[in-house]
Amino acid sequence: MSIDDQHDLYERLDRAVGSITPPAAPVDRAMRRGRGIRLRRRSAVAAGVAAVVAAGVIAVPALRHDASENPAAPRYTATVQPPGPHSPPGLIASGMVNGQRWQMTVSKPGAGGAGPGQQFALASGPAFGPDGLSSSSPPLAPDSTDPVSFNATSSGPSQAQFGAVRADVSYIRVRLGNGILLTLHPVKVWGVREVAFAVPVGAAITEATAYSRHGVIATAIPFNYPGGIATFNAWLRPGQHGLSRAMGLIGTGRVSGQAWSVTAYLGPWGICLEGGAPGTNAGGCVPTTSSLGTSLLFRSAGTPGVAGGTASASVARVVAYPSGGAPVQVRPVTVGPQKFFSFPLPDGSKAVRWKAYDSSGNVVASGTSRLPGS
Amino acid sequence: MSAQLDEEFRDFMHGRWPAMVRLAYALTGDQGHAEDVAQAAFARAYASWPKVKRTENPEAYVRRIVINENRNRFRRQRVAERLTEAPPESGCADTTRQYDERSALIAALQRLGPRQRAVVVLRYWLGLTEAEAAAELNCSVGTVKSQASRALATLRQSAELVDGGFQ
Repeated sequence: MSIDDQHDLYERLDRAVGSITPPAAPVDRAMRRGRGIRLRRRSAVAAGVAAVVAAGVIAVPALRHDASENPAAPRYTATVQPPGPHSPPGLIASGMVNGQRWQMTVSKPGAGGAGPGQQFALASGPAFGPDGLSSSSPPLAPDSTDPVSFNATSSGPSQAQFGAVRADVSYIRVRLGNGILLTLHPVKVWGVREVAFAVPVGAAITEATAYSRHGVIATAIPFNYPGGIATFNAWLRPGQHGLSRAMGLIGTGRVSGQAWSVTAYLGPWGICLEGGAPGTNAGGCVPTTSSLGTSLLFRSAGTPGVAGGTASASVARVVAYPSGGAPVQVRPVTVGPQKFFSFPLPDGSKAVRWKAYDSSGNVVASGTSRLPGS
Repeated sequence: MSAQLDEEFRDFMHGRWPAMVRLAYALTGDQGHAEDVAQAAFARAYASWPKVKRTENPEAYVRRIVINENRNRFRRQRVAERLTEAPPESGCADTTRQYDERSALIAALQRLGPRQRAVVVLRYWLGLTEAEAAAELNCSVGTVKSQASRALATLRQSAELVDGGFQ
């Protein structure tokens, strides 16, 4: 090959590949995939990874699946079984959803690249779609008050519920909306007693009851986000009653050219808010059995964003001061025994200050919310 | 992984992403595949980032993964993708000379096997020496020479390139 050939080929190649414009680097996605690869290498669990939804008591960052994803069929099957003697390390439980296999695994805290004080949780298997789901969060740990500290996560057509179990719990019975009864036996994973189960996204979970050797400890009736995942919040001891069920729209409007709304749901689970612009729904729950004072409950990170909270009976108006936007004044809306407020946040608003006033103009509560990293 | 390592990886990926997508495009001939391959390569690099960053040349490491990812993709899709004399669909007419040139070269490259394609891209676009290309492809210098020779012979026979002046 002559020098001219080489030069000509170089110039042609350079023009050809230089003519495409790569999009922005998908760094976060690559890192998520990378974490999954690392976890699979270490736990020998087959499946890929994607994003995670860590639904705790307060924040539920992604509540609904996209419309393109299938809601739970009215008829479905779900099974669960504890790890066997030859199961990979870190396996909490496995089973089938609609005949498709699933397994829930956690990495050793601080290992596998999770970093100090962190642990990977991996939902994998065909039931969770081709990518599965991986997340990094503080290691699972039992709660002193709740028998089970359930976390929720979803991927593809299924949702997983997993969490740490208090020492006095012998087993947990979970009743699903179609009558299926799952019995969860805690297993020690990396020194912590844990359970997990999976059901289709959108399938109602009716209740979970924790049993000790002597009988019922407590029952949790989760809040099932419409078409989405369930979140366990309040655990009720035998004879204890929660809030009566009620729901209502507490805010709606348009911001940055998009419609937004926030809805409050009260019931035996406590108080949950859900809302946002289409496709960016978020929400939060508080495990309470009575009315709450004034506080911001959730804030969506979507664009545009929304925020919502509970207000004490004396609150007459709430003024929000979003960064990069004009102040917004809203009046509380009552749903059941509780007052609520919500307000929109314009595009690019990283932080918001808010103040709640009574009818005399006195500030009764205030706060500031910042998005992580702002 | 520590926040500092994450930040280092972010900087690295932001900096090298366009180059890796272009490399993958030269290898795959399709921008969508190229982005998939590049992303998969960076994911693998992140999975071993503490080790990768300690290597003498992290970029070369990722480049190797891109080449391997493409080879694996080719293996997986060998049956699904059949090379034809002419593109199966004509698409919209594009009158720009740049587009014609790009199409011709990319089409000609796609007629090469994945290893020959990689040799051409490494040697004649990235300008690697035969020894460097051999190291990245995990083969001997002799193999690089022979693959390059065959690849160039094929390219010289490509009607698109001959018409465009490469002979």
